[in-house]
Amino acid sequence: MSAEKATALVLRTTDWSESSRIATLWTREFGKVRVLAKGGRRLKSNFENALDLLTLCGIVFLRKSSGGLDLLTEAQVIQRFPRLRTDLSALYAAYYVAELLADGTQDYDPHPLLFDEALTTLRELGGECGPRVARFEMVLLRELGYSPVLDRCASCGGEMHETEAGFSASANGVLCRNCRGGHRDARPLSPPAYRTLRDLAAAGDDWRGMWSVEVRTDVRQLLGQYITHLLGRRPRMLSYLGS
Amino acid sequence: MRNRGLCIVDHEPSGPIATLMRELGKLPGIGPKTAERLTHHLLAAPRSRVYALADALRAIKDSIRQCRQCCQPTENELCDICSDPRRDGSVICVVEQPRDVAALERTATYRGLYHVLHGRLAPLDNIGPEQLTIDCLVQRLRAGGVQEVIMATNPTLEGDGTALYLSSLLAPMGVRVTRLARGLPSGSGLEFANSQMLVDALEGRRSF
Repeated sequence: MSAEKATALVLRTTDWSESSRIATLWTREFGKVRVLAKGGRRLKSNFENALDLLTLCGIVFLRKSSGGLDLLTEAQVIQRFPRLRTDLSALYAAYYVAELLADGTQDYDPHPLLFDEALTTLRELGGECGPRVARFEMVLLRELGYSPVLDRCASCGGEMHETEAGFSASANGVLCRNCRGGHRDARPLSPPAYRTLRDLAAAGDDWRGMWSVEVRTDVRQLLGQYITHLLGRRPRMLSYLGS
Repeated sequence: MRNRGLCIVDHEPSGPIATLMRELGKLPGIGPKTAERLTHHLLAAPRSRVYALADALRAIKDSIRQCRQCCQPTENELCDICSDPRRDGSVICVVEQPRDVAALERTATYRGLYHVLHGRLAPLDNIGPEQLTIDCLVQRLRAGGVQEVIMATNPTLEGDGTALYLSSLLAPMGVRVTRLARGLPSGSGLEFANSQMLVDALEGRRSF
């Protein structure tokens, strides 16, 4: 067993026995890891109060070669996100981020960019959370290799015009008017929503700014539908998110 | 090569002694060895003491129910606290579990009533408002007479989220919603406090 150090975000915890706890952690260095924290339920332990949900902490863990749970030996709080304790919509959005990371990623598959994006998202959540969550979803999709095709028709590869765009989760992207009929889940996409999707997928901060109610609703439904299609089930927290 | 005449017997022991050991072993904090020791202790104990234990075990399932008002376990329709006329009915302290009531009662400081949620909101674990006793709390407030609700859920993200949800639900009903203070424990030193305790203490500071 080798001792590893990492920076981790707590995604899920489950009580195990009288005093121990199993935690799912999203680390910058190793991706998702599942650890057993012996004594993790006690107030005075090597983990202090670092194993609370969505806490950023520095950890030391022993990696098991046998495929069992890794053993957490130390955890110290680096940062908490106080806004999550005072804003209900921010809390639900943060739970959604945790759910996507816990259920959408594989063990020991690191994505430092996604880790950083998750932290930025948690820091910026508050008030109107829709655009911030949509940006996180786009980065998650890109990092995991599931970016929707937005620059051309996902079916025929033809050039796309804003005014005739549709979106299909099963086609993995936007569709031209001719190809829309071949996909039963295709839905029309308004030009502003299409532009917003492209801004969300591109580098830079063009996606920030005022989103109309129609765009927020369109983008929320469309990304929710796409992620549901990829996961094979509807994320639990999706219904808690507003548009 | 197989050893003739030797075989591994793989069966669970049966009979009342093994059953008792197995059942005791399911209790929190009791492993197989402690279960065995307790079983042999009960075997050696006088019949009256063992029957008293059995009766007590049966009674907590047969005669204990939830208090009609605060939802904590009780023998009667109303628990001792809710039926005590000396308690202040204008203040309700909301806690996650019945054991939290016991902890607060040990302080002998609080004279109001309680409400036990029997859990906390944890949407990631599929625990929503309908799994808790929130409806019952809302009905108590609608009945009138309550001026303050103290949120005493655990200071975890889920506990704070539960308090936040309840405060957004109850505040429009015209009651004052407060939260337990948090920060430095009395009798300790600043150098031994972790950073979160200090942050909480600074945020929750008050004037003399």
